[in-house]
Amino acid sequence: MLTHRAAQRSRPVDMPFSPVLLAGLALAPVPPRLLQPLFDAILSVVRRRHPDILERLAAYPDASVGIHPVDLPFVLILDAHPESPRLTVRRDFEGVPVTAVIRGPLAMLIALAEGRTDGDAAFFSRQLVFEGDTEVVVALRNAIDGAGIDLQADFAATLGPLARPLRHVFGLGGRLFGRIAHDMDTVRSALLAPALRGADAQTARLNELEAELTALRRTLRQRERRA
Amino acid sequence: MSAENVELVCPAGTPAALKAAVDAGADCVYVGYRDETNARNFPGLNFSRPELADGIAYAHERGSKVLVAINTFPRAGHPQIWHAAVDDAARFNADAVILADIGLCDYASKTHPELRLHLSVQASASSAEAIRFYHESFGIRRAVLPRVLTVPEIAALCADVPIEMEVFVFGGLCVMAEGRCALSSYATGHSPNTSGACSPASHVRYVEKGEKVVSQLGGFTINTFGNGEPAGYPTLCKGRFEANGKLSYLFEEPTSLNTLDLLPDLIAAGVTAFKIEGRQRGRAYVGSVVKAFRQAVDAIRRGEPVPPMVLAGVTEGGRHTAGAYERSWR
Repeated sequence: MLTHRAAQRSRPVDMPFSPVLLAGLALAPVPPRLLQPLFDAILSVVRRRHPDILERLAAYPDASVGIHPVDLPFVLILDAHPESPRLTVRRDFEGVPVTAVIRGPLAMLIALAEGRTDGDAAFFSRQLVFEGDTEVVVALRNAIDGAGIDLQADFAATLGPLARPLRHVFGLGGRLFGRIAHDMDTVRSALLAPALRGADAQTARLNELEAELTALRRTLRQRERRA
Repeated sequence: MSAENVELVCPAGTPAALKAAVDAGADCVYVGYRDETNARNFPGLNFSRPELADGIAYAHERGSKVLVAINTFPRAGHPQIWHAAVDDAARFNADAVILADIGLCDYASKTHPELRLHLSVQASASSAEAIRFYHESFGIRRAVLPRVLTVPEIAALCADVPIEMEVFVFGGLCVMAEGRCALSSYATGHSPNTSGACSPASHVRYVEKGEKVVSQLGGFTINTFGNGEPAGYPTLCKGRFEANGKLSYLFEEPTSLNTLDLLPDLIAAGVTAFKIEGRQRGRAYVGSVVKAFRQAVDAIRRGEPVPPMVLAGVTEGGRHTAGAYERSWR
């Protein structure tokens, strides 16, 4: 089990400058308990539509996995007990020993859940961090990836006649998200441009120095051989 | 061998990955049961019996084949679950089973003479004599070659044996004598050749040390990754160790095999099937890699060059190599 301190201490994952970050700032004053019904609904839908997830996790009934969307001001704790799973939203991991913790930007965590991003590649490139019991994390990754989750379709399937309006809302939301993300990228580029120019110049200078050093070493080796 | 007859053999660790592989154009999908009878016995992975039956039906409806890997070595005195694995594969109309153990080859050939048998890379058969032995003794129809041969060596083998040859073209790069390697056993106490998992996740830890991440296997430090450096899974053969005062990858770097540019040469060498490694990877990996290789094989069939495709996003360490096929170090 990871203690609270161990769960909190982690190599930082870069927070993407995205609409999720802004939403997170807006959500900061909201008590997590007010968000709990949303996550209860998500778990209920996923459990109904993809019972194979819990079946694949049956070997780990006592596992408690912390999920930390780094751009949101709360964390989730998944208790994967096959009979009574829970997805609890909290401000942090204080007082809750967890088996493992997974950290990453919300968009990446959702993409992983829906199988749109390769989990190994995300981890190898260190956009995603996990700590604790590797076996539980691997089992969870495989169980979720293997279920073929499609959150939009899963929610739509539970709503019957309301599915069509929901798809419309999802579509509108997606387009709005995309537009805001694009605008934020523009702002970020404008803000970072001077710093990036400086960094590019420094990189070019470093490359020159490295090339000079390599040439000097080569010359030195040739002289040593001749001597 | 002509490009028309080459099969693309693709991995699937879950039903969702099987669908992704079939939908992306796999000719064959290879899978394993959710137990130690296959060499990717990872937590939460693989197929239950009903999932396998459904997966085979899904693939067959779309013209793809399903091969069942039963490629670990039965524990002495307890071959029952391996026998049951073969029996069930035959019952579900699998297109072939992929075997490594001589006893299991014998059982399958005698019990299910109609079942097509492939020889797993785990059998480590890399000579014409070894391959002929499996063919003559058990009717093996195809051998998966170890990833230690050059293209000319593969061509010589293809010319010298009467069965089909399958080679790895993408994915994790095992550079050891597969089926005989004991490195993981040494570090964890569990043999990948009998329990089905090299470097089992239960023995893997990633430890944060400031800006660095230390990867461990069975308590042994396998690698330390600096800030921003791509990380890798801690297998001993891809560890970074200090020897003679120098820190280096002693066996192999964390990198993936990628032979997109070599596919025409492999076809010319007489290879029958191209195998993509990665049953332990997710459906995003399966979908993108199968799609790329489908395009490549189709281009070769049309007599066109292989189109440039970037797969760095799914390779280990963001790097790739042609491995032993080119042996540029020779």
